[in-house]
Amino acid sequence: MAQAMTTPDAPPARTDPQPPRLRTRRRRPAPYLLLVPALGTLALGLGYPLVRQVVMSFQEFGLAQQFGTADPEWIGLDNYADVLTDATTWAVVARSLAFCLAAATLTMLLGTVVALLMRQLSTAPRIVLQVSMLAAWASPLVASLTVWNWLFDSRYGIVNWFLVTLGFEGMDGYSWLANPWTFFLVAGVIVVWMSVPFVAFSLYAALTQVPEETIEAAQLDGATRTQRFRFIVVPTIRPVLSIVMLLQIVWDLRLFAQIKYLQNAGGTVSETNLLGTYLYQLGVAQSEYGVASAVAMLMLLLTLGLTFGYVRSLLREERTA
Amino acid sequence: MKNLTRLAVLGVVSALALTACGSDSDDASGGTTVVKLWLAGEKDTPEELTTWLEKEYEAQNEGTDLKIERIDWGELIPRLQTALSDAGQTPDVFEIGNTQSPTFTSVGAFTDLSDKLADLGDNVGPESFLEAGAYDDKQFAVPYYWGSRYVFYSKKAFADAGIQPPANLADFNKAAVTLKEKSDAKDFSGFWVPGQDWRNGISWIFAHGGDIAVQEGDAWVGKLASPESLKGLQEWKTLSDKASTAPKDGLDEESWVPFNNGEAAMFMAPGWARWSVEEDKAADLGGFALPGVGGGAAPVFAGGSNIGISAKSKKQEEAFALLQLIYSDEYQAKLAENGLGPANPDFTSKMGDDEFAQASIAAASGSKLTPASPHWTEVETTKVMEEFFGKVAGGADVAKTAAEYDAKLEAILNK
Repeated sequence: MAQAMTTPDAPPARTDPQPPRLRTRRRRPAPYLLLVPALGTLALGLGYPLVRQVVMSFQEFGLAQQFGTADPEWIGLDNYADVLTDATTWAVVARSLAFCLAAATLTMLLGTVVALLMRQLSTAPRIVLQVSMLAAWASPLVASLTVWNWLFDSRYGIVNWFLVTLGFEGMDGYSWLANPWTFFLVAGVIVVWMSVPFVAFSLYAALTQVPEETIEAAQLDGATRTQRFRFIVVPTIRPVLSIVMLLQIVWDLRLFAQIKYLQNAGGTVSETNLLGTYLYQLGVAQSEYGVASAVAMLMLLLTLGLTFGYVRSLLREERTA
Repeated sequence: MKNLTRLAVLGVVSALALTACGSDSDDASGGTTVVKLWLAGEKDTPEELTTWLEKEYEAQNEGTDLKIERIDWGELIPRLQTALSDAGQTPDVFEIGNTQSPTFTSVGAFTDLSDKLADLGDNVGPESFLEAGAYDDKQFAVPYYWGSRYVFYSKKAFADAGIQPPANLADFNKAAVTLKEKSDAKDFSGFWVPGQDWRNGISWIFAHGGDIAVQEGDAWVGKLASPESLKGLQEWKTLSDKASTAPKDGLDEESWVPFNNGEAAMFMAPGWARWSVEEDKAADLGGFALPGVGGGAAPVFAGGSNIGISAKSKKQEEAFALLQLIYSDEYQAKLAENGLGPANPDFTSKMGDDEFAQASIAAASGSKLTPASPHWTEVETTKVMEEFFGKVAGGADVAKTAAEYDAKLEAILNK
């Protein structure tokens, strides 16, 4: 912070040898003014709800309080006690963590493979690949969810038809969403499909920064392909790898739209809730705003806990860079 | 430097302008009073009726502008939860599903209409809708329209199989299986039974005298595992296995699609589903009320809506004038002519006398509502019933699952 405060008004000493007293008068407001819209929007859009959420998590707050027919009652840690002693919460947390880590890992692996592939391809096929990935990345959420849902439709879906054609007779009319395991398989495919382009593009950009000379030198010294990847490529792109992984974990932990859509299309809600949909169910569907706030706080802590290591290592890299 | 400052100011202004976009532009148009009416569903109230309402209301009440907004059923509850509690956002008059009314009557979201009921007519019904709209002996919401679920069938399929429309429930079950067996088409359903379609499936429970939950003393007691309910569930499960090829995780939405595709001989749906059947199939389409165990009509799930005035609305008088217009003879007649059961029974005959109108009226005669608990909406929004029927259709042990879901229902209803 201290560094940031002094940078803008630190003039080149050679041309501007004014005493500090005058310097403070000439302090330039523009850089700070430029921060105001971002900070202001952040405070309005996130700050207020966050404060409200913390307050509500200690209150009895339902529909009656929302309509003002009853006053919100301070109940201390009761909401937290309810949430933490409820087996449903832990099942949801475990499910969310497992799904988040599995989806994020798979996304990273596939994204890296595609990025490496893009480096090897000649221009024409690479552009085709890039355009199709951009299309996947840019297609509107609900539109692509609808298409995926049709693909996996138990009666008219092409996936079942294809499996039956391959000889899996048992897949005729199979309901993918009815069983929680296949539900998450479908959800996983959709989530990974939607996230791979971002990872692939980011890593592709990072890969272009790997110095050719170093690779060549290593090659001359007899380093194998694997060795070159492990000891030269990965360390060079590590900052990008870790920030993309961090983002993936945050995104996959707060999944909502995909899961909600599939639940509406036939999933068993109580067995497929992840943190995002569980929160929605408590807060919006059941109007238990107080309890939902407590779960949201838990989710916030969980996200911070999961990403703490990454953020720290990112900061460290920034400092050494 | 100066430019930068200007840029920054511009940034601040635009950020503020963006956040201000969400605020309402109510009453902005000079002098006219905007009255907001929220109707549920994208097409449940036909266009003809809303156009008439707008024209008539603005003609009768000078200086008003009636704005009708249609809210999708899936979004209705969340939208109402936030809008009704805020005088700046609230609709003045709003429609709500009959079974959803108790959630909002119990928290004071509606204006009390007890003293004004007489001004709406002396013969308002159905009684079960009024009960759903009452709380603490006060009348908060009144019936908007009732609808009922009945069976649509292909006359040709029946003729080909050499059978008649059934007279009782056992006959119906038998006919559904026969229709499937006699058809050569692959994946053909005698009766379309999606696994999660509890709104139609519940008829089998009701028909055998079962129920979802009943109030005993102060507490709600789940009745899915009662012997009567289990009997109905077993019958429905047999239908799902032997008469239907619908997905076990299928919903009650768009059940006319397989019928249009020639893949089902019968489906059950609210009366307006008739208009979703393709035109070239219209001559082949017939309708009858689901028959009861001993003949007559089986008790089906009573569809329909209530309507009321938001307590937070600043235009109470204008809102009541709109309610009166909805209860006017002309509008009641229009509802009936469009196949929606009118709140004023004098107009029920306007629904016509073809087989569809008869099926609708017969089905409504014995229709039942879901438990009138303020917490019932939670059962719907968390899809407890969909899950339960889906599991039964999927092959779970019926008695065990029923007991498990009775406990889930009790936990929600007795909050």
